[in-house]
Amino acid sequence: MFEATHLHKRFGYHVVLEDVSMSFAQGRLTGIMGPNGAGKTTCFNLLTGRYRPDRGRIRFEGRDITALPPRAIARLGISRSFQVMNLFDDYSALDNVLIATPEVRERGFSVWRRFGGSTDVLESVGLAGKAHVRAKDLSYGDRRALEIGVALAARPRLLFLDEPTAGLGTEATARIARLIAELKRSITIVLIEHDMKFLFGLADHIYVMHWGQVIAQGSPAELRANPWVQRSNLGHAVN
Amino acid sequence: MLLAVENLVKEYKRRWRTTFRLEASFSVERPEIIGVMGPNGSGKTTLFELITGSNTPSAGRVVCAGQDIHRVKTGERDRLAIHYHQSYQVRRFRRYKPDFLLEPARSEYPLVHLFDEPQFNTQDGYIGFMLDFFRRLRGEGRVVFVCLHPNESYHLDILREVCERFIFVERGRIALHAGWNALVADARVAGYLRTT
Repeated sequence: MFEATHLHKRFGYHVVLEDVSMSFAQGRLTGIMGPNGAGKTTCFNLLTGRYRPDRGRIRFEGRDITALPPRAIARLGISRSFQVMNLFDDYSALDNVLIATPEVRERGFSVWRRFGGSTDVLESVGLAGKAHVRAKDLSYGDRRALEIGVALAARPRLLFLDEPTAGLGTEATARIARLIAELKRSITIVLIEHDMKFLFGLADHIYVMHWGQVIAQGSPAELRANPWVQRSNLGHAVN
Repeated sequence: MLLAVENLVKEYKRRWRTTFRLEASFSVERPEIIGVMGPNGSGKTTLFELITGSNTPSAGRVVCAGQDIHRVKTGERDRLAIHYHQSYQVRRFRRYKPDFLLEPARSEYPLVHLFDEPQFNTQDGYIGFMLDFFRRLRGEGRVVFVCLHPNESYHLDILREVCERFIFVERGRIALHAGWNALVADARVAGYLRTT
């Protein structure tokens, strides 16, 4: 469905991505993990058109989207969330989702239709009762959920989530995990995550990045079989 | 021959006094993983820089896949050798000659990978993926150098597990050891390991 081949990216002397190839299959959840500075977010920025790769191609449903600007990529049905929050603090949760809903070229009741769609989105992220609370008054966990809601507003077919659990406690993380597991049924998701345990529980396929390269990939079971993973905190936590 | 370091010398001088001198001469004929150890300031990173062509030798040469890397266009040296600092890669070359006077790289992808103190910690499981990555590179016919400060006991386990040969650097001198047993039999290495 979505395929990136031989992506290269440098910033001055720093090589951020080198020969990265990835593909995301329809209806599956793909995880990207790696230590700090491995190039995960840069990878996202390339895939969603924020940066142009120095070399390499990106294809979505057979179409080359390498040189397209972010808005054109968004219109094709690709949406993303950010590691740092991008909400309008003084607007209500509902307004935040409404703003993100793409313009509907219809007359008459289109406003109501948009409104209804946004309420559905809020409901799906578990914020139905908090539609009129201002974004800045929401709890941190709710704000994270709203972030995902904003990304969902455009009804994407492919959703990129950049560390949706950054800074969350165990309970809030579990809530986001449930939410993503629910979303996974209807859309293709690509997820950047630090927390291996979280990712191993959700993903169908995982890419491990380091030094701007994909150093390992496989199903969670394959990656977990690694003796050093077994030895780590993660191995103990899983067993 | 994948890599030949021929009578390589690097001298750092302050006025007329030589403050540091590194000498190295060795060759790598087949793909392998080589562990590099040595105290701080012994010249490990300088050696890596000389091999990737980001630092100019005072004498001698580095031949990578048949090409003197210091005569290759600076923008193409990474198709011969790559230097990885802890968690990122850097390509920074000083240009003494304009690029058009230099020769193009004859290789499409790098053949020598030098990992300078990769961050190994056991909390996350990334070590395993890194070690597999080193082995994969070797399997693809490349040479891998892993420079490590054995701060923790498992660092030695890692080196023993993954490396075929070892280089011990001390005060700018290089000693090559054919295997783990030969390495630990060296009195200087034993002394160094005791202090870490």
